[in-house]
This record gives sequence, structure tokens and C-alpha cells, in this order.
Amino acid sequence: MCSDRPKSNDLARLPLFEQAGSRRSFIKSLSIAAAAGSAALTTGCIPSVEAAGSEEFKLRWQEFFKKNYRLMTQEEKDATVRRLERLAKMSDDLDIQMTSHPPLAGVLYGYAFNITRCEGFMECVTACVEENNLDRKTNTQYIRIFEMEPGQLDPSTGDGQYYHEVPVENKFYMGTQCFHCEKAPCTKACPTKATWKEPDGIVVVDYDWCIGCRYCQAACPYYGRRFNWGKPEVPQEEVTRRQHYLGNRIRPKGKMEKCTFCIQRTRRGRLPACVEACPTGARVFGNLLDPDSEIRYVLKHKKVFRMKEELGTQPKFWYFID
Amino acid sequence: MSMITVAGRHTGSPSIHGSMAPIIFMLVLLIICIAAAAGNTSEESFLDEVKAVDRKFDNRSVPLDHYVAEDTVLAKENYQGGPFRVLARKKRIERYKCSSCHGDKPITVNEGKELTHADIELEHGRSDAGLTCIDCHHPEKRDYLEDKKGRKIDFDHSYQLCGQCHFRQKRDWLGGAHGKRVTNWAGDRVVFNCTTCHNPHSPRFEKRFPATYSVPIE
Ligand code: SF4
Ligand code: SF4
Repeated sequence: MCSDRPKSNDLARLPLFEQAGSRRSFIKSLSIAAAAGSAALTTGCIPSVEAAGSEEFKLRWQEFFKKNYRLMTQEEKDATVRRLERLAKMSDDLDIQMTSHPPLAGVLYGYAFNITRCEGFMECVTACVEENNLDRKTNTQYIRIFEMEPGQLDPSTGDGQYYHEVPVENKFYMGTQCFHCEKAPCTKACPTKATWKEPDGIVVVDYDWCIGCRYCQAACPYYGRRFNWGKPEVPQEEVTRRQHYLGNRIRPKGKMEKCTFCIQRTRRGRLPACVEACPTGARVFGNLLDPDSEIRYVLKHKKVFRMKEELGTQPKFWYFID
Repeated sequence: MSMITVAGRHTGSPSIHGSMAPIIFMLVLLIICIAAAAGNTSEESFLDEVKAVDRKFDNRSVPLDHYVAEDTVLAKENYQGGPFRVLARKKRIERYKCSSCHGDKPITVNEGKELTHADIELEHGRSDAGLTCIDCHHPEKRDYLEDKKGRKIDFDHSYQLCGQCHFRQKRDWLGGAHGKRVTNWAGDRVVFNCTTCHNPHSPRFEKRFPATYSVPIE
């Protein structure tokens, strides 16, 4: 169950992370003035020449050379979170509260979706968009709801773009999102180890280590991942200010995003936004390691199935019927 | 399956020589097969592994950012994890207490339609034999509901009444496959009451337009 959990000493042995210290110290030792003039600094992730010497420059500089989240100590995590908060204030005038809450002990998240109950109202989708600061310009959505013909169980046969009064007689509705596979193929595809499965089962992306190659998206059999072609545009008054480093913080441009089971909420005992918003109770969420939880009740007493079970990806997302 | 492909690949290999070769080869093959079999079982058993966990989890150990703000009452039944709470109803019923009108004293009816409940559309029960008011409401003690056995039922505990016909839903509601929790997956369990979501006079959800629409992925 937990066999492919990352071990930090494993990571350190990877060539990617070897010499990280020396690479950093090497680059740091370059004079700032010389670096500021180099072509690399015009790419956007690194501050422009005008900002050199300012506080913003210093913060962005430190941000650029930080480690992969999994290699950071708690102090380093706290430091980057504070930098990101400060940067959000400086560049977007946003007062955000970012956290890096670790996984809870004895918790493995699981999700169940009742295909008898879902009536296609899509309130989960809007709640997700708002909670996770998804790009309003391109209408990015992590959740899809498909209108299905009776007897069909593969969403690709359904209509994912309906817009009419629902529910329609003799149709049913089926939602998809990232299924947080126990044996997630997406994480194996990543060349920079920017995406992995956390000990509580949530598959996350370190947006600052993602290079936007989209290998993971190609490896996901469930269309669970969304690539952003630009920094998400969210009207300032609609930005969700409670953020998590691995969750709904506003992603930089050109990164891979996906459902994180609302990590910023669930690690504080709260339901994901979609579950809370669902008006029909079709969405069940809870701790798989708690024998008394709702999710365990569903697994024990309902007819459940998972999508493309034959692939062996072991999604922690079950469909069930009443 | 894996044995055939591995064998096919290796017998064609010209690099194995000497009399020990077949024995070593068979040994390697054996190890591969055992490893493959072990790998398969671990894959299939994820759900079994999960289901095998029966150590109690202390839901109160989880640090919470949000607490349920609504009024709740302790349910009169237990779920698999013990006692739990449901969202209270009485304060949300506009004209509760009912006995403020339904009593001995005379009432002047100005807003006739509303005050006589003529605005309520009853769409509950079979189409040929729909329910009437006193199928659920107590005929005398107007501040209560009444079940088929003649027991008085508090509006805050309407699940006791609904469950007598909708017993399957009630069972799933207790267990957690019907209805929903409020705000938190952890902490003390608080769930929606039947009548928090369903209008008891017309329990089906009304048709409406979805909250948004989707554009094709890329
Ligand atoms: S659904 Fe796709 S993105 Fe999510 S964990 Fe599984 S393979 Fe990865
Ligand atoms: S897009 Fe990002 S997360 Fe996905 S494989 Fe490439 S670097 Fe890794």
C-alpha cells in the first residue's frame, strides 16, 4: 500500500538531487550584476533588471534557488511560504495565508461518487474553481461531469459539454477528476520528480519544480491533469486566500495542475470544496484507515467500481450505486 | 503470461554457454516468476489492505480550522462510530411553533392563502395515492410529527419519521452513503437532516440549469 512512498534518502541518491548544494553555491557565487544581465533572467521566473537590488529581487532570487519541496526542512518550507506570501502582497497586492501543513498520521484519503444520486447540477465544479483559484480566462476545471446514456460506464461515451435543464430523464451523471491513484503512473513519468504521492495518498505537484513538459499528463489514463498556458487569472476579490504550498496557491505560468483533494482544507479536517458544495450528497469523502468512516461504509455495503480497473493504477476514487 | 515472454526472450540469447547454463537459467526464471507473482498480489490487495484496517481512528485528533456554525442536536440513534449530531430544524421552520396558530384561541386570517397553507404543493407519495398532511403531521399535538405507530416525533428528528418508508435511505444515511456531513470529514460527526436537503412536501429536487458548463479539454 505504501511501498512507493518517497524516502528522502532515496531521493538524495538520484542524480538530479546530487550536488544540489554545490550547484547552488556555484551559481550563488556568481555576481548578481553579471547574472542580472544574462539572457536567462528575461524568462519571467527570475526578476527583471529593474527589480535588481530590491526586496522583490532578493525574494525571487531565493525562490529560484530553493529545493524540491520534499527535500526541504520544515524551516525551509516555512521560509518559502513566507516569501510567497510576501511576493503575493508585493506583486498582486494580495493578503494570502499560505501553509505547508504536513500529512496527518493514520489518514489515507478516499473518495466515492454516487452515480445514482448525481443530477448534473455542477455545483461541485464552480466550488472547485473558486476554492482552487482556477484560471477564469480559459475556464479551467479540474472536475468534469458527463451526461451518460443508461448502461454506459465509460465517461468518454458521455456528453461532457451539456448545458440544459438537468436531470434529463433516462440519463445519469458521472464525475471525473484526478483519482489519486495508489500506483500513480503520472508520478513515474515526471523527469524532474516534481510530482509524487504524499503519505496521506494525495498526488501533488511542486509547481516550482515542474518544468511543464507534460509527460505526466500523457501518462494519466484519466485526463486528471490540466496544463496551464498562463498564470491563472482570478479577479482579486475572488481569490481564495487560505492556500497550501502543494494546493491552491496561484500557480506560476506553464505548470501542471490538478485536483489535490483540496489539500489546504482536508489536512485541517475539512471536506473538499466539491463535497461540501454537492446539493445531492453524491460525493463521499473520508479516511480509508478509519473503519467507522463514511467512505469505508460505502466500500463495505455498496456495489463499487473504479474506472479502468484493469490498468492496476488503484485509484482511490470509487463509483457506486445506491 | 510473463513466463512465456521471458522464456522466449532468453532462449534466443547466444551468450549462455556451458552445462550449468540451463540450470542457472531455470533458477533465474523461477525467481522472476515468484517476484512477478508477489508483485501481482500486492496490487490486488490494496483494497483488502484498506478493509483490513480496523484500528479505531480518533477523529478528534485532527486539528480543525472550521467548526459547524449551524444549530445541531444529538441524534437519537448511533452510527457505526457511535453518537453523532444532525442539523436542527425547528429554528429554520418559519412559523414554528405551529401551536401559536393551531390552538384554541381564534385567529383572524388576513393572508388567507398563506395562513391556511394553501401555498404548499404536496408532491410526495405514490401518484395514485399521495400523502396528506396528517400522514406525517401529528393530528392534535401540532408542534410534532407522528409516525405510523402513533409516536410523537420532534421536527429536529424527522429522520425517524422519513425512515419508516425510506428505510434503505435511512440505513445509508446512518452509515454515510446517503446525505452528507457538514463542513468537516473529521471531528465530531455532524450530518444534514433529511429535511435540510429535501422539501418534505415535494422531496424530489427540482430540475434546473447546471451552475456552469465545460469547455473541451485542450
Ligand atoms: S488520476 Fe491521473 S493524475 Fe491522478 S493520480 Fe491517477 S494517473 Fe495521476
Ligand atoms: S509537466 Fe511538470 S509535473 Fe508533469 S512530468 Fe513534466 S515536470 Fe513533471
